[in-house]
Amino acid sequence: MSNEKVDVVIVGAGASGSVFASVLAKAGKKVVLLESGPDWQLSDLISSDIWGRRVKPAGPPFLFEGKNPYGYVYQSGWGVGGAALHYFANFPRLLPNDFKVKSTYGKGLDWPIDYADVAPYYEKVADDIGVSGDAKAEEIWRPAGKPYPMPPMKTFPGGEVWKKGFEAVGMRLAPGAVGINSTEYKGRPACIYDGWCHVGCPIGALANPLVTYLGDAKKAGAEVRAHSTVTRVLVSADGNKVTGVEYYDAKKEKQVQEAAVVVLAAWAAQNPRLLLNSAAGKHADGLANASKLVGKYLLAHFASNTSALFDEDLQPYMGTIAAQYYSYDRYDKNSYKDKGAFGSTFMVAGTAQRYSALGGVANARLDLFGAELAAFMKRAATGFTRLTAFAEEMPLLENRVELASDKDEFGMPLGKITHGFNDEAVALFNANFDQGMAIAKATGAKEAWPNKGPMPTIHLMGGTIMGNGAGDSVTNSYGQTHEIPNLWIAGPGIFPTSGAPNPTYTIFALSQRGAENLAKNWGTVAG
Amino acid sequence: MDDMQRRAFIKGAAIGTLAFTVGGVEVFLTPRLARAQNLPLRTLNPDQAATLDAMGEALVPGAKDAGITHFVDQQLSIPAEDALLEARIMNVRPPFANFYRAALGAVDGASQAKYGGRGFAQLAAAEQHDFIDLMRQNKLENWKGPGSGFVYFLLRSDAVDVVYGTMDGYAHLGVPYQAHIAPTTSW
Ligand SMILES: Cc1cc2nc3c(=O)[nH]c(=O)nc-3n(C[C@H](O)[C@H](O)[C@H](O)COP(=O)(O)OP(=O)(O)OC[C@H]3O[C@@H](n4cnc5c(N)ncnc54)[C@H](O)[C@@H]3O)c2cc1C
Ligand code: SF4
Repeated sequence: MSNEKVDVVIVGAGASGSVFASVLAKAGKKVVLLESGPDWQLSDLISSDIWGRRVKPAGPPFLFEGKNPYGYVYQSGWGVGGAALHYFANFPRLLPNDFKVKSTYGKGLDWPIDYADVAPYYEKVADDIGVSGDAKAEEIWRPAGKPYPMPPMKTFPGGEVWKKGFEAVGMRLAPGAVGINSTEYKGRPACIYDGWCHVGCPIGALANPLVTYLGDAKKAGAEVRAHSTVTRVLVSADGNKVTGVEYYDAKKEKQVQEAAVVVLAAWAAQNPRLLLNSAAGKHADGLANASKLVGKYLLAHFASNTSALFDEDLQPYMGTIAAQYYSYDRYDKNSYKDKGAFGSTFMVAGTAQRYSALGGVANARLDLFGAELAAFMKRAATGFTRLTAFAEEMPLLENRVELASDKDEFGMPLGKITHGFNDEAVALFNANFDQGMAIAKATGAKEAWPNKGPMPTIHLMGGTIMGNGAGDSVTNSYGQTHEIPNLWIAGPGIFPTSGAPNPTYTIFALSQRGAENLAKNWGTVAG
Repeated sequence: MDDMQRRAFIKGAAIGTLAFTVGGVEVFLTPRLARAQNLPLRTLNPDQAATLDAMGEALVPGAKDAGITHFVDQQLSIPAEDALLEARIMNVRPPFANFYRAALGAVDGASQAKYGGRGFAQLAAAEQHDFIDLMRQNKLENWKGPGSGFVYFLLRSDAVDVVYGTMDGYAHLGVPYQAHIAPTTSW
């Protein structure tokens, strides 16, 4: 079935798609968002780790291979709001050294833009959707800029105990910048510190897309179609422009949505899968793939967690799931060169703890079961806290998304994600445990231990990287594909390197920058 | 009920309870009550249920009475899209029942091989402890199924869910639950 042609069709109603929708709908464009999952409402966000699993995909449309297979489902979103419906809203930013890794260090890749190109958009996002933090305190690590619109969040003993440890090893902490309201902001209430952010904040204190960009987009006339799974981007006969997308609706019937511009915002794994599955005519290897880089240079973060137990009541059940404090003091990519490591580290301390589920207290001692686990849980209920060191891997061609031969329910080939960390990343993972333990011991904790297990894969970036031309990249710095002017890609997939911090503040900033550029150049871009 | 209607029904139902069948009629109960009423299982056979009861209890004391087997069994009987199991977010491919049948079969098979034909539920507490300790480290011989360390991880997570992941569980630990949207029962 065919639908009336619109100006813009956006694939995926998550973090990046919502920003594009908001900017373009406000610019007067007719926008349709196609979202494969359900149309979640705030009232669906039940405060329960068990019920919280409902907002993730059931069965990944991918196969997983490699030395460190990618942990897809936990990391992804499904339904209106995307993964940002249940993200933790840590809002750190990249630093200037992230944008020129290749020219500075001789490895990795360079971005075609600098920190200074993105910084104004960090500030715009902060004002638009609300960020709490202390910009002055962060300026020990980054160029000065505007203050955040809200003061930092409240802290709790589970965060404060880390201050002594950091001081003892000569490292600095600043209050975490978060997309959560420390005060009422634009009619949304202040946070009440009950620690349910990770299954979705139903009061709107946390800047999820429903209460920010997507809400604005809908007000400006954007239409969201849930249970609509896109399987192909359609191309004109001459291959010079895209004409719309093919998708399957809630009744699993095939539909076509024609549009003057197509924006793929289905996250870093699905976007390349869609591009590869849309091969047609002169784009025999997939759309926008002259560089053969569609699906390549996939990037995951990893994290080294250090746990600590205190006899005192740290009130670990209080706060937000975002961090109270953070540190860029090991952000130089050669911080642990002597240990064979390369890459930045970003440390966060003091988050509210939950007791069950993947990130819960029970999993901080995975070796314990039976009576020993029960005894540990009793002690940890009030005395547990944790420190997390996020770190980056360098882009590798072999970390990639490809099409597999197995098909999904719509006949679309599954994707296959191959992922492994190289030796420098493994060395950084280990170095961060040593650093974490040194800090934890200096806090005066009764017990401290490294949560060393298989290297986790966190967030997902790369796969459709930005660059200067079709020879070495898929898009320009706005997300416009080099080869097809009316085909755009939004989200972390366009990052050529990942830096160490959580990506979404940068995703919002880049999406705002890209969407504004698209609106400005509409006349020459639209097909 | 078609798919969409059923979804709306699930959303509107008393949140925190799960649908069980009593005398051919769907009723909403917590797994603990379903167990206490000895409701029939939908997916697991009696051997699998006995193994899961025993394994759940050995992993997390209290899991058996908290209804781990009724929880998992009910979850396996509903569409994967509605399932609340940890398996969902750990990349296990639906139908999740395949994973659980293979996992519970592997537990019993390895137990029988190691302990002269006795299934896991028939082992003494100390034997169960030794068995699990090897299982979590992928060190059991005659293990035939999904990786034993992964099975340990998922079954332990299910047991933690029913014991600690509930409002009762938080109360038992002496910490406040502070729900925004409270489950309407203690589940
Ligand atoms: C548990 C968790 C905690 C996180 N915490 C943080 C944090 O503290 N700070 C931070 O910066 N980041 C955090 N993140 C990461 C953040 O959520 C993501 O970086 C961000 O949401 C990615 O944006 P996106 O637009 O690319 O994808 P998403 O927001 O995931 O949106 C993509 C959407 O596309 C849809 N889709 C996929 N395929 C199709 C298709 N074929 N057709 C139609 N629709 C499709 C999906 O269903 C999804 O809704 C967290 C993520 C998770 C899972
Ligand atoms: S802690 Fe704050 S941001 Fe998190 S769910 Fe509660 S009110 Fe929302």
